[in-house]
Amino acid sequence: MARRLHAFLSHNTTMLGWPAMGETTPEQDPRKLAEEARDRVRFEEEALDLSDQVYRVARRLVSTREEAEDLMQETYARAFRAWRSFQPGTNLRAWLLRILTNLNIDRGRRLQRAPDQQPLEEGDYYLYNRLEESGREPNNDQDRVDERLSQDDVVAALSAVPHDFRDVIVLVDIGDFSYADAAQILEIPIGTVMSRLHRGRRILKQELAEQTMETA
Amino acid sequence: MSFSPGVDPCDECEKLLQPYLDKQLSDSELAEAEAHLEICSYCRKRYVFEEKLRMFVRQAAVEEMPPDLKQKLSGLRTPLF
Repeated sequence: MARRLHAFLSHNTTMLGWPAMGETTPEQDPRKLAEEARDRVRFEEEALDLSDQVYRVARRLVSTREEAEDLMQETYARAFRAWRSFQPGTNLRAWLLRILTNLNIDRGRRLQRAPDQQPLEEGDYYLYNRLEESGREPNNDQDRVDERLSQDDVVAALSAVPHDFRDVIVLVDIGDFSYADAAQILEIPIGTVMSRLHRGRRILKQELAEQTMETA
Repeated sequence: MSFSPGVDPCDECEKLLQPYLDKQLSDSELAEAEAHLEICSYCRKRYVFEEKLRMFVRQAAVEEMPPDLKQKLSGLRTPLF
């Protein structure tokens, strides 16, 4: 377990250009100890300041609030232990989300169907066309989306999107991460981020269409 | 500039929807999409809808962190002494 944790942290930090944890042994010099304590406190405060933003992403990566809370606590416990491996000046929010997504994957949720086995999705106009067919199309360009879709529809549709696609949508469209950040967090090529985002948004719209038809 | 002859321009425009909103289109693709959107209310309505949909999804997906979770996270900090 310890070896696995070390391998995970070394691998993760190397990919993002952060030094591996455990390389720095605190000096016994009191001044160094004080400096380290100050750096650690600063790190912990910055990480906690980001917790609202990290939670918003975490909440949509998993199905339930309880899972999100557990994942957050595991993530922060690990982050606080491994704080030396974070390189100041780099993206702390991405670093925390990388720990979180790895923990989430470790929970064994990869047992689902692989992306290539997903059915072909409909086009990008699908949801609008379905709304139009059902008589709920906008009368003009000023029409409001929230008059035709509810928050519950979005939450249910998002949770129905397969994980590999949902992860990318949540990071980019909800978490505001760049393609490059999302690629590093998920450890996949940037081209894969873009293709999963493209397909994932279409799948999301199919799911939204189903949700709205069910609730109509 | 318009789409190549022989293709359905609305199908072509649909393919450019996501990269258009992501600002990932090349100059020539952008010119093609904009020229078509000028004259096609069918596609224009769907582009406007998509833009609003993205904003709506972003807002609808937000669930604030429970207040006691922040305290729990704070409790995970390393004691100073």
